[in-house]
Amino acid sequence: MSRNLNKILNYSFLKVSLIPIMLWIISSLVFILLRVAPGDPVDAILGSGADEVSRELLRNKLGLNESLINQYFSYINDILHLDFGKSLSTQEPVLDIILKSLPATLELGFFSIVSAMVIGFPLGFIGLRNKGKKTDYFVRIFGIATYAIPPFWGAMLAQLLFSVYFNFSPIGGRFPIFQQQPKITGFLVLDSILSNNFVAFRESLYHLALPSITLGFLLSGIFSRSLRLNLDKTLKSDYVNAAICRGISRKKIFLNHALPNALLPIITISGLTIASIAGGALLFEVTFSWPGIALRLHEAISQRDYTLVQGIVIFTSILIVSLNLFVDILIAYLDPRIEY
Amino acid sequence: MKKNLILSIFIILISFLQNSCGSKRISKKIIVASSGKIESLDPARANTLKAIQLISSLGDTLYELNSNGELVPELASGMPIISKNRLQITINLRKNVFFHDGTLFNSNAIKFTFERFKRIGTMNYILGNKIKSIETPSEYSVIINLNKPSSSLNGLLTSVNLTPISPTFYKEYSDKFLNEKFVGTGKYVLTSFSNEVQLIDPNLNYWGAKPLNKGINFVGYSNSSSLFGALKSKQIDVLLSNSIDDSQRNSLNNLSKNKKFKEANSPFTELSFISLKTNSYPLNNLNLRLALAKSLNRKLISEKVSYGLRKPSRSIIPPILKKDNEGFWPKYDYLEARKLLQKENYCNGDILKIPLTYRSNVPADKLIALTWQDEIKKSLNDCIDIELNGVESTTVYKNLSLGIYTAVILDWTGAYSDPEAYLTPLLSCNEIVNGICKNGESVYSGSFWGSNKVESLFLESEKISGKKRLNKLVEIERIAANSIPYIPIWISSQRAWSQNKISKPIFNGAGIISLSDLEIIDE
Repeated sequence: MSRNLNKILNYSFLKVSLIPIMLWIISSLVFILLRVAPGDPVDAILGSGADEVSRELLRNKLGLNESLINQYFSYINDILHLDFGKSLSTQEPVLDIILKSLPATLELGFFSIVSAMVIGFPLGFIGLRNKGKKTDYFVRIFGIATYAIPPFWGAMLAQLLFSVYFNFSPIGGRFPIFQQQPKITGFLVLDSILSNNFVAFRESLYHLALPSITLGFLLSGIFSRSLRLNLDKTLKSDYVNAAICRGISRKKIFLNHALPNALLPIITISGLTIASIAGGALLFEVTFSWPGIALRLHEAISQRDYTLVQGIVIFTSILIVSLNLFVDILIAYLDPRIEY
Repeated sequence: MKKNLILSIFIILISFLQNSCGSKRISKKIIVASSGKIESLDPARANTLKAIQLISSLGDTLYELNSNGELVPELASGMPIISKNRLQITINLRKNVFFHDGTLFNSNAIKFTFERFKRIGTMNYILGNKIKSIETPSEYSVIINLNKPSSSLNGLLTSVNLTPISPTFYKEYSDKFLNEKFVGTGKYVLTSFSNEVQLIDPNLNYWGAKPLNKGINFVGYSNSSSLFGALKSKQIDVLLSNSIDDSQRNSLNNLSKNKKFKEANSPFTELSFISLKTNSYPLNNLNLRLALAKSLNRKLISEKVSYGLRKPSRSIIPPILKKDNEGFWPKYDYLEARKLLQKENYCNGDILKIPLTYRSNVPADKLIALTWQDEIKKSLNDCIDIELNGVESTTVYKNLSLGIYTAVILDWTGAYSDPEAYLTPLLSCNEIVNGICKNGESVYSGSFWGSNKVESLFLESEKISGKKRLNKLVEIERIAANSIPYIPIWISSQRAWSQNKISKPIFNGAGIISLSDLEIIDE
């Protein structure tokens, strides 16, 4: 056991040591790509009407007249000190902007993953139980279709149907315009519970329902398909057959042997999905006017707000890399077949 | 039987969702929505229509333009008094006006606001070096000393960027922006601010007429479809049209005609035009510019792109500022265009190739470009070939002064309500060599056109006022129209739609809605 633990620790150390290199590559790429992209924040802030003197003044004020190499070193130095700088357009610290909008994204991501699992797993089971029947075909087509639908299109369709035609759901936002939202952690559902505010709890769930169920619905196909495939493969494996021959009950085989093994690849898929949602379901947030990190990124790109774009990309990169690392270590720990 | 049971449960569940989970409208406040968010409520920083709209409800300017384009005193007690040498403007202020923080509004507040804007204002270039100093001879009197005579200063006094703010409250922010708060003298006070939602309540100590409603909730959605859907599903009360797609604008216009909503229009203030690069081949040739101008079918473009909701324009000054609809710029006449092109040896095997750049993130621009290209293919196929090139707007603005674009579609809304706010940014030039502008505003708008005559008329117009000044400015436009550095396309207005239970929105002359006049008429 201690040898295993040492191995895992070594493996984890190797993985962790790669993180700074990955982040350096990502941050340098972001810096270069933003500078190569045409247009600059001065034009976005002042529009086409400002004269050259005003532009130069603002450029100097924002530090955009310094040489690129100086800008790069000061940027890397700031990142090393966990200082993401100030937004060029609002002068608000980038970290504050990220921390303000991150809870909205994480809340949406969490409920979407839960919805995806609630919809996807039962469908996967149903498909497998009825293998080769109409239901199985339906589940498989459902899996492919939901995976193939572009999220923004699905979001627009859901919004049109449930918000405009049936008026079941708010058109966008996280909370009713005419109510004061609880402010503790930034996670509105959690804040409503912490403040014992039932109305706020109901309203935040009501606003969360359509975006999270729609995103969950679109993600559910991956879960149903991967569960069906992996479970099917596991149930055909030798050790399951051996267990059946030994007379162990089917329920026990399924729950204790087949399911845990079938879930291993799903952990990887879940990790990747959670990571991509944490990075922001970009057009999803734009469609539902969801004030999360992706909406901020979208606005920052259109305003050429270099510091904010850099900050958001690096922050989400850290998040994604950390989640991947966690999943890698978890799989390594759970799956004895993995060599490390 | 089993299917019916499932269906019944589903229907009950949906009804439950609709009736019990939905947000109950408990507020008597009016919900006004528009696109995007508000980054800052600081008048020195505000440059989006949405922020300007909100600030104009939270604060008062010295003067306002009414819907006829006339100057009306707000915080000033009368019209500005201009000295004989036109270098001094005296403004007497209204008494017993208080800021939202309880401090008194006086001449010091004006001095503080103007100087702060001049120092840190994002758009302080609109003042240029017009103002030399500001004196406060008494508590309720201000003297603005000018570096040179400036008739356009009257228009500037209506600018929301110069909305007086409380010097006491902004003491620590005299050299930096205060984004999330606003303390002015307006009809409303700010009660809550986030980038997406802003709540304002009536100012109980307001010096003038009180608002007709119990407050406004201002909300921003990130896209046009959400705004359209929110109005249709009655989730909002009033929709401001900035950035809403033309097809949805048209749909709302039709619904308004069928009495589903109430629609209001502001005066036409947003000009769309094509900037022609006049300092190099091929458009340094006046005949070719004229031919291009005559090949543009404005009426067709307006109908195809905006469903006729944007007004074809042969002028670069909005009608409200010119007091007439006269257009001097060339009319559509493709036969005349062909003759001009033939005169320049085109159409006989040689085709004039014109790269036309449009802003790829402005949907109407692309449609304008496509419609014009299509029209030319039909009528002048053997003479002109329009090559389309979509570029993102910030890139276009950056490259304009570099002379990269032969022809580019742009738009412009004056920063203040004066013809000069349209003419100067497009036509003025500081250094002219052989009719080409080397340095000045027309370089930044991509035309590189300059005229010494126009410059002298600009200077003359600063020394006069009223009708005489307007005539001078119209003369400037006439000279430009003969040289065709631009092709005006259309002029647009802001629109707003309200639910039938809300009174019809009213716009002032600057295209801003009077939120205080919105009223719930059917509770």
